[in-house]
Amino acid sequence: MPDYGHELMFGSFITPANASPKEVVSLVRESEAAGLDLATFQDHPYQSAYLDTWTLMSYAAARTERIRLSGNVINLPLRPPAVLARAAASLDLLSGGRFELGLGSGAFWDAIEAMGGRRLTPGQAVEALSEAIDVIRGVWDVADRSLFRVDGTYYQVDGAKRGPAPAHDIGIWLGAYKPKMLRLTGAKADGWLPSLPYMKSLDEIAQANEIIDAAAVEAGREPAAVRRLLNLGGSFGPRSDRLLSGPPEQWAEQLAALTLEYGLSGYIVMGDDAATIRTFGEEVAPLVRDLVATERATRGGGIAGAGR
Amino acid sequence: MSVDYRHPLRLGLLLTPGDDGPQAAVERARLGEELGYDLVSFRPGASELDPWTLLSWTAARTTRIHLAAHPGGPGINPALVARAAASLDLLADGRAELILSAEPGLDEAIDIVRGIWTAHLRSPLSFAGEHHRLAGAERGPAPAHNLPILLTGTPDPALLRLAGTKADGWLRPPADGGSATDSWAGAEGQAGANAAIDQAAVAAGRDPREIHRLTHITGRFTTAADNADSSLTGTPERWISALLPLILDQGVSTLILTTDDPATIRRFATDVAPALRAARGEIPRSEQVPSLYVRRHRRDGIAYDAVPESLAGSAIEPGDAGFGRVRSTYLRGGSPGLVLRPGTPGEVAEAVRFARTQPVKLSVRSGGHGISGRSTNNGGIVIDLSRLHAIEILDKATRRVRVEPGARWRDVAAALSPHGWALSSGDYGGVGVGGLATSGGIGWLVREHGLTVDHLRAVDLVLADGTRVRADEEENAELFWGVRGAGANFGIVTSFEFEADEVGEVGFGQFVMDASDTAGFLERWGAVMEAAPRDLTSFLIIGRPRLGQPTVAQVMAVVDSRDAETIIARLQPLASVAPVLDYSIQVLPYEAIMNAPQAPHDGQGEPVTRSALAGHLTPELAGDVGRLIAGGLSYFFAIRSVGGAVADVPSDATAYAGRSANFQLVAFGANRRALDSAWDAMLPHFSGLYLNFETDLRPERLHDAYPEAHLGRLRALKRRYDPDNVFRDNFNITPEPDQARSQSSR
Ligand SMILES: Cc1cc2nc3c(=O)[nH]c(=O)nc-3n(C[C@H](O)[C@H](O)[C@H](O)COP(=O)(O)OP(=O)(O)OC[C@H]3O[C@@H](n4cnc5c(N)ncnc54)[C@H](O)[C@@H]3O)c2cc1C
Repeated sequence: MPDYGHELMFGSFITPANASPKEVVSLVRESEAAGLDLATFQDHPYQSAYLDTWTLMSYAAARTERIRLSGNVINLPLRPPAVLARAAASLDLLSGGRFELGLGSGAFWDAIEAMGGRRLTPGQAVEALSEAIDVIRGVWDVADRSLFRVDGTYYQVDGAKRGPAPAHDIGIWLGAYKPKMLRLTGAKADGWLPSLPYMKSLDEIAQANEIIDAAAVEAGREPAAVRRLLNLGGSFGPRSDRLLSGPPEQWAEQLAALTLEYGLSGYIVMGDDAATIRTFGEEVAPLVRDLVATERATRGGGIAGAGR
Repeated sequence: MSVDYRHPLRLGLLLTPGDDGPQAAVERARLGEELGYDLVSFRPGASELDPWTLLSWTAARTTRIHLAAHPGGPGINPALVARAAASLDLLADGRAELILSAEPGLDEAIDIVRGIWTAHLRSPLSFAGEHHRLAGAERGPAPAHNLPILLTGTPDPALLRLAGTKADGWLRPPADGGSATDSWAGAEGQAGANAAIDQAAVAAGRDPREIHRLTHITGRFTTAADNADSSLTGTPERWISALLPLILDQGVSTLILTTDDPATIRRFATDVAPALRAARGEIPRSEQVPSLYVRRHRRDGIAYDAVPESLAGSAIEPGDAGFGRVRSTYLRGGSPGLVLRPGTPGEVAEAVRFARTQPVKLSVRSGGHGISGRSTNNGGIVIDLSRLHAIEILDKATRRVRVEPGARWRDVAAALSPHGWALSSGDYGGVGVGGLATSGGIGWLVREHGLTVDHLRAVDLVLADGTRVRADEEENAELFWGVRGAGANFGIVTSFEFEADEVGEVGFGQFVMDASDTAGFLERWGAVMEAAPRDLTSFLIIGRPRLGQPTVAQVMAVVDSRDAETIIARLQPLASVAPVLDYSIQVLPYEAIMNAPQAPHDGQGEPVTRSALAGHLTPELAGDVGRLIAGGLSYFFAIRSVGGAVADVPSDATAYAGRSANFQLVAFGANRRALDSAWDAMLPHFSGLYLNFETDLRPERLHDAYPEAHLGRLRALKRRYDPDNVFRDNFNITPEPDQARSQSSR
């Protein structure tokens, strides 16, 4: 299949270092000025060198006007889903629909436990994430007048009031690698958000797509309901035969190929460097959009603008 | 009986985000700031909106008002709350406060929050409580300021005891939870609560004045006093007369108005607040009692209570939350007893007048990158100029710019870049303006444009007696001469006026070279640099050789040209000095080369370096350096090319004397004794010393840096401007000659 036809999205990945909060916020503003669509932040609440990601995102959203913000990804084990859902909706309302919810099941269990969190096995963590997604969507679903109850293995909600509803359909994007998480992504999520450095090869993307697609179909959804994003790093310099090591034109050709052949439609550049952010937003992104638009036009057919 | 805890009056707002959405609530908070309220908070649990998100957003849309974060319980994770509150405080420049509700485990939660904030303790935080458990959580970050923990709940004895023992304040809730506008608690029971808090405080060794008393108020403005006694319903006069006794007799220092009605918010600010503030008056800082923790961490010899009022608010003591961020410098660990952070030249003068009366060390700090590390100390006072960081274009035609000492060269480069200008400063953008521009400044464009001090046209200084003077070629010309090479000895420069150069994009080459033949490599590099046109400046660094691997040098070079052919022509000879293992050549704005990360200093221990100026990299000198490096005595050895425009200026034109040198050398070592003995033996090779890379504090070094005639003039200046030797932190030129004579055979 791939190329699910999503509109392309380009973003930055900003380390929430508390040594220089001003610099972190200024990189968000740089991202906006460079025309990027998205500024994202890792969330490791057990890490003392980082700002609290939630506080930072709320602050940074108030200092920007157009760019969207997301956790990349939010640590579910230390952030109870009902509170998270309300906070996410609040931020989405405040920012005029600029918040997306990148979410992870948790990985560093010693550190999570050190912070007073509950230790889960990786398998349990996926189940907990699945429950959490139900809780989060349940909180947002104000159209449902019924009393909100969840009696899950990991999370319980006992007749809480629903709401607030977010300003837009917040995308829930999962950082997933293993089959179980990928199936959950296909079944329930709006996006898949892995990191290139954690992938052994591009084949892994193709294989993951297949699992996600199958799970989506099984859940009665279109595979295109799940956007595929990618965190990536690289360097700008003279042309080479390596991935993302070359001039902006080479990046653009390679990313366009990833869209057309691997179905990716969101690219998030890592590295806290204003110059990289600028080049990525001002040079790479427009080139990729052009290349992809041209190719999609020649391929024709009705794939344009599927999903969100 | 009335009590007075000597806190200034603060007026706050408690907002409940409602059906008109979160933006409306934020707008009310902004209205509050505009009207002069001191504090704003969002009520937890009263709407589905998340108060923490609202408050963080509000922090970004306000500049002055304090933000009282009140995480909604139950089931909060105190470690997470601590980090989030500290984050809010860091983002909002010290405007956060934390309200915690009475609930089971509150006592433990306070311990955990404070434990997380105690970032300077290296041990992880473990806690085995009944309600909360931590198993080795990382500590930190520390908040930007002493972030107060305020407890809220009805006045039951356990809560009041906890407030007195561990908290910074007790916030009295509205009588019925605040749903009705006339449910005001009034003064009833306040005295009893105060007494309970005071008693607990004293039992814990604290001063009752450490604990703030806050209360919520609710009411309605009406035209006539139709009032029941206990309610705030009536005219502003009625409000004033009801509130004054609370403030003046009951020791309540913060009133938090619970309302979402803009008219009431306005009315209170305009018709009630002024009378309350006037009645309370100003409370000088010196009368406000610091916490027991702060008092316990004070150092001997400093009259903390005598710190001038204008400086007390921004000063940082060892027990303050922000201390970890100001104690050390880039290279040296420190533990001063008091860091004064003046925000104006007038405050710098006050700081000097105060500090000179204190029998402790005085250090002056701008960017904290001083290699000798003398801009911090142990137990003394630091005057930290980081708040003076303005950069201003004075005259476009003459490229005259005014820069304050606390600015970093990164910021200067960024500010000048849009004009197509630059000032050659050094190779690292994190370095501060103050320390570099009072000494020399050997930068990326030094061979073409000279030293940083050669671009200096005027300075404003605070002298040792606290007077402020200007010095330039006409006015105080001799002082101006001294500032350009020995400035730290005569005063604190609060403003520099420079003439910038026109600089566009530049070529930046970086080479990794095989320097196994270290001496030969140095000689060849030196020869290339001496023969090179002035638009080429190059620095090199050699690290400690790794076992079984060739010695490697990093050579960096800037060509003041954007023309590819010129860049290649200049770099070619450099590249042929030794086998090139890796390289990159870029054309960049000068600003991009000066880009450097921003972070608080965290230096540890004592830096060990030796430094020198040399005319030529002779075979003898190069051989000695080769042996120094091969012997592992220097783990970081660097040479900067000088000469060119620097040598156009006569040696006696500025206090900086070493004009004839083509090279500036520095060796970083691990062992003071070993490096000193090796370096002392090399002194005959050298022509002088640029003090900014030196850490050897023996007085001989002054003689290396300044020829006799220079030193004579400098001592005369010292006798005139600082006869009591107040400014002696860094390579002190004493008013009278010292006994030491130069050991170098110049
Ligand atoms: C990584 C690094 C790279 C460097 N590269 C270069 C280089 O390429 N070229 C070069 O020339 N130097 C270089 N230096 C040395 C630098 O010039 C000195 O360390 C300089 O003193 C740093 O200035 P500062 O304001 O940051 O230092 P601080 O530590 O704040 O101050 C150092 C000293 O200067 C004095 N001082 C500070 N402010 C004032 C003031 N306003 N008025 C009077 N006296 C004052 C005080 O005596 C103080 O102890 C480098 C240093 C570092 C750490």
